[in-house]
Amino acid sequence: MSTVLPARPATDPLSLPLPAAAGTASHHPEVLTQIGLITRQVHDALHQLGVMPKLKEAASGLPDARSRLTFIADKCGDTANRVLNSVEQAKAEQAVAAKAAASLRGVIAASNAAGALALLAEIESARQRTDAHLTDIMMAQDFHDLTGQVVAKVVSLALIVEDGLVGLLRQAAVEEPARKADTGILNGPVVNPAGRSDIVANQGEVDDLLASLGF
Amino acid sequence: MSHPRDLKILVVDDFSTMRRIVRGLLKEMGCDTVEEAEDGVHALRLLQASKFDFVVSDINMPNMNGFDLLKSIKADASLKHLPVLMVTAEARKEDILLAAQSGAAGYIVKPFTKAVLEDKILKILQKMAVAA
Repeated sequence: MSTVLPARPATDPLSLPLPAAAGTASHHPEVLTQIGLITRQVHDALHQLGVMPKLKEAASGLPDARSRLTFIADKCGDTANRVLNSVEQAKAEQAVAAKAAASLRGVIAASNAAGALALLAEIESARQRTDAHLTDIMMAQDFHDLTGQVVAKVVSLALIVEDGLVGLLRQAAVEEPARKADTGILNGPVVNPAGRSDIVANQGEVDDLLASLGF
Repeated sequence: MSHPRDLKILVVDDFSTMRRIVRGLLKEMGCDTVEEAEDGVHALRLLQASKFDFVVSDINMPNMNGFDLLKSIKADASLKHLPVLMVTAEARKEDILLAAQSGAAGYIVKPFTKAVLEDKILKILQKMAVAA
């Protein structure tokens, strides 16, 4: 279902043409007058609607949301590092076992014990499979990097919203200009790639894109 | 052609988890000489202090991102020969094109597999051997 927005009246300040550059606003006193008018209207509307308490609540709740997200990111990092510590130690043990098995193979081969050699081969095969599982566990820890980046973006977005709300609250209270929020870099891991043509979905598409350009 | 085990590799990523994973994978490929940097500034300092053969770098990092590191490497006469493989979560086509145009030797999108990393490194080494 599509939503049809009502047409703005001709006097709607938002429909007025913008100056060519922000720096020229001081040469257009009517623009400043309009901005002042809109600010006053927003201020009055917020008070009439009783929005200010809710805005205050939202603004004060954002730092808590940020600290919760930061806590999640930290816990993910700690867990990933603990798993990687164990994987590295297990892989070192695997290397010791492989070396010992190779030595034992030489000792047993000298006494020609075919059954023992078959068992050794089975142990070596299991060791290799375990090592492959350890590699998979290690690779699975990349979730920390990817989720961490997404959480960091949400935290920075929350900071922008918080800044905006605090600015609005200040403006409504004492009519001082709101601080300009730093948007920063908002890219990073793609959370929802469906329907987007500006991104690649997998490594194959990266390779195809680069190949099409001769790289 | 060089083999990864003969290379001294610098892994650049602000996430220590990812540095450890890439280091672990490189070790499995036989490469034991791996150093780590947490951003472009740290990486440049290490690159200027000692000789490396290969750089594996993230893009989104504080202080100096991967693109700026790549450009700095390619602008430095003593470093520009270094192959730089970008390993990043940035999946936007414009980032991939920018990396290629800035002189990246390869581009891998996270999450990736050991096979992909190995394949890209070997292909880059192969290309360098042909060009030499």
